[in-house]
Amino acid sequence: MAAPGSEMAVAAAAGPEELVCARGRNRKAVLCQRCGSRVLLPGTAIFARRELFLPSMKKKTALVASSDPDGDVLQDHWLVDDMFSFENVGFTKDVGNIKFLICADCEIGPIGWHCLDDKKSFYVALDRVSHE
Amino acid sequence: MEPGSGLLQRRGAGGGAGGGRRGPGLGSAGGSPALSGPQARRRKQPPRPADFKLQVIIIGSRGVGKTSLMERFTDDTFCEACKSTVGVDFKIKKVELRGKKIRLQIWDTAGQERFNSITSAYYRSAKGIILVYDITKKETFDDLPKWMKMIDKYASEDAELLLVGNKLDCEADREISRQQGEKFAQQITGMRFCEASAKDNFNVDEIFLKLVDDILKKMPLDVIRNELSNSILSLQPEPEIPPELPPPRPHVRCC
Repeated sequence: MAAPGSEMAVAAAAGPEELVCARGRNRKAVLCQRCGSRVLLPGTAIFARRELFLPSMKKKTALVASSDPDGDVLQDHWLVDDMFSFENVGFTKDVGNIKFLICADCEIGPIGWHCLDDKKSFYVALDRVSHE
Repeated sequence: MEPGSGLLQRRGAGGGAGGGRRGPGLGSAGGSPALSGPQARRRKQPPRPADFKLQVIIIGSRGVGKTSLMERFTDDTFCEACKSTVGVDFKIKKVELRGKKIRLQIWDTAGQERFNSITSAYYRSAKGIILVYDITKKETFDDLPKWMKMIDKYASEDAELLLVGNKLDCEADREISRQQGEKFAQQITGMRFCEASAKDNFNVDEIFLKLVDDILKKMPLDVIRNELSNSILSLQPEPEIPPELPPPRPHVRCC
């Protein structure tokens, strides 16, 4: 569950209606695009807009080579404030002060972003997951 | 990142510092039977029912298949090419056991195989420890006493221990018999033993579920609710135990 404060802060963001409910939460379960592993249950995350750079999903080396510009700036995310809100998720080792989120099962990623400076924000990019 | 580096702050100030380790022989399962006043005040939110969180670490010498076990448990994605760990720090996995939903936080210690390089914080916070050797490599079996020394030194006394002889799919190259593994585990109080194959996905789910089952069986439900859900998974070291001075364990597990 997200803290009430953070919910208010981002609830105003309007997202794709088929995915975001009136309360700003995810209508559908969030799944891994490749293996279907369940990342978030419906209603457990808040839709949030923030420009975040995620390295390309195609190669693991993109994570390591920080100078490699291969990746996307993504804006639409699911946000949770507690890592145990996730059903299944993996965290990479630190890349600077960032930990990227990956699928816990097939390890595809990054599907999300977590900054060690903000212990209550875990982002999963809508474009990097599927919804069911 | 290490468990002690504070990715998550301990939820509910001091939840584990005062709430765990209350009586000899009880370990952290010795908490108050009901939600007492101070605990209730400390916690901001009531625990979600049937939502337990347990930390499990996988240790063992280099190349025994720790990462494969973690990946295999998580799904059918074993990849023979994935020999070394590519930067996965830990995983959160939900399992359901006896009608309860349990979130496991699984730390794979690959890349830190030198015995003294694994931070003591990993051990201290673990409710379950999976010690892995490779049945086709005698040296990984011979290393087990050294790993046990680390467990004795740092791990919580009530942590569940499971010895796993991995690579059962390589039967032709076996150097350590099943009996040798059994014998080693029998010398250590409360240690379970099994053989497994991460490659063939043999016994892998069972390993994790059995360990979780053992952990849950050890503690009354209210203790799990009151303490585990809030404190065990904290990534911060127990403040009352400085890393340099681990508390001596009773030598019940020594050979």
